[in-house]
Amino acid sequence: MKKNRVGLVLFVSCFMFVVGGCASNEIVKKDEPITPATKTTAQAKVEPGKMIKPSEQPGKPAPIKQSTVDSSVPSQNADKFNVALARIYFDFDSYNLSPEARSALQKNMEIIENSSATVVRIEGNCDERGSAEYNLALGEKRAKAAMQYLVTLGIPEKRLSVISYGKERPAVQGNDESAWSKNRRDEFVIQK
Amino acid sequence: MRATCFTILFLMMLPVAISAQSRPVEAVEVTAPGNRQLRLAIEIPRSTDGTPNNPAAKEMGDVIAFDMNMSGVMAAEPREPFPAPGSGSLSGTNYLPWMSAGFDLLVRGEFSITGDDLTVEFRLFDVINRKMMTAKRYLGKTKDLRYFSHAFADEILLVVTGEKGCFTTHIAYVSSQSGNKEIVIMSWDGSSQLQLTRNGSINLNPDFSPDGREILFTSYKRRNPDLYKRALSSTAEVPVSTRKGLNITGTWSPDGSRIALALSKDGNSEIYTLAKDGSSPIRLTVNNAIEVSPVWSPDGSRIAFVSDRLGKPQIFTMNADGSNVRRLTTAGAYNVNPRWSPKGDKIAYARMQGSGFQIYTINTDGSGDSPLTSVGSSENPAWSPDGRFISFSSKRGGVEAIYVMRSDGSGQTRVSQGKGKATQPAWSSR
Repeated sequence: MKKNRVGLVLFVSCFMFVVGGCASNEIVKKDEPITPATKTTAQAKVEPGKMIKPSEQPGKPAPIKQSTVDSSVPSQNADKFNVALARIYFDFDSYNLSPEARSALQKNMEIIENSSATVVRIEGNCDERGSAEYNLALGEKRAKAAMQYLVTLGIPEKRLSVISYGKERPAVQGNDESAWSKNRRDEFVIQK
Repeated sequence: MRATCFTILFLMMLPVAISAQSRPVEAVEVTAPGNRQLRLAIEIPRSTDGTPNNPAAKEMGDVIAFDMNMSGVMAAEPREPFPAPGSGSLSGTNYLPWMSAGFDLLVRGEFSITGDDLTVEFRLFDVINRKMMTAKRYLGKTKDLRYFSHAFADEILLVVTGEKGCFTTHIAYVSSQSGNKEIVIMSWDGSSQLQLTRNGSINLNPDFSPDGREILFTSYKRRNPDLYKRALSSTAEVPVSTRKGLNITGTWSPDGSRIALALSKDGNSEIYTLAKDGSSPIRLTVNNAIEVSPVWSPDGSRIAFVSDRLGKPQIFTMNADGSNVRRLTTAGAYNVNPRWSPKGDKIAYARMQGSGFQIYTINTDGSGDSPLTSVGSSENPAWSPDGRFISFSSKRGGVEAIYVMRSDGSGQTRVSQGKGKATQPAWSSR
């Protein structure tokens, strides 16, 4: 099974190299290790082929709402690193990775890769809208979307962990879009 | 100390019924002429030592009046006693002035306080037919004063409607008063607040066990959203499910044998049931979507839950083994927080409207979908065990607080007191 997973990652990595910028959020979303092992295997066979279909990859960017990346906000304990791990941001009720979020994850990946002693905890968060319960699950999807992307880029999964705080730990107080947009985020926290 | 308080509260001595009138308790048809609402006078109880203006007396009258007014069955008001020719004892009731003042029902009471000991006797009279309807005598401590008053309000409702009230029940909720999100318990009317958890972490989604002795909740105290239970008589927070990922929105089955919850151990949040000790998980949903908030039907045969499998969160129902899944809510783009009514006929939930929520109820066949609230943002409905009331949290007053309303949406009243946000109410059993 483990071999299959590695194989899948390699395959997806190569594939992304080829497809480049066209790779949409679908990649990250679909190859999440969802539940039974048998299913993951099945997806490994089906998904890559599916993604190549032009019909499923229209010329315009995938219908993901754009979001921004704020790399100026350092994570806790980031002083161990030359560059801070950037937070990434999401749209309302979405765990899709925007192009900006992908760029930030690419930079985070390089930082993590060059500091071999670290485990990074990815903390998924939501804005205050929506129910607390649903947001706990949504926050976890956000954290796992980032984890899966980092794994796809080559970070070993064992160096990453996820936790969702739902809407329980807002970064910014306030009830308008400027606050909400800063709260719909993944934070990357160095564990050791 | 807290443990002692609760042990005493829950092992409270049983009320001693007066056997002078040994009629079996049965519903007495009491109706006011012309569809007018019944009027209940609560004579401020008399202290047997003759002390006037005892604050305890006023408090008892206020408690019974609050309960009966909230019930919607009658309009109640505490009243000073009419000057009585004799001793004013309970044995001789002069109905005439109460009838002249327009009352249909009358509560009279007598109490004595000796040191820390409290003895109370309440009687309910039918003013029109000039007869006593019920009487109860309570022996306990002075701190039980409100409890005894609530217990007699239960009795009044039983005699008048045939169904006992839920006025001695409790509401657990999440409070940020301490600076962290902790589980707090209060009487249903908002009094006797008691902070249950003190772990300084994030504590969420309390749910009472069917016997009312334990609370299930999710806590981040070990840096993961794990499910714990805690007996009200104890300070021990016992881990129930500490599986990898989410262990959230746990609810007890009606017979207390199993727990439904959302786990993400297999990749994303799915609905499972567990034995009450957290063992033998059974997975009920298999889906790439978010599934949370499972709640049981009162007969334990069905489970309602939230799923965004169709794009946005909606309420679904399924058999308790995961079969026969049906979508319940079809209107509204974002419906969450299902809670099955104790009678089984309705499900209360919260629908997103604008930037907030409102409480709705819907019949279990999907008909009769209708709003109960329209002010501020209101979410997390929780039924009282008799189905007469729904508690919810609302931001209408500024800071989020716990409210109670009748199940038709009338009588919306804030009950939680104190500072901080109060959210996610759960109602105890009777």
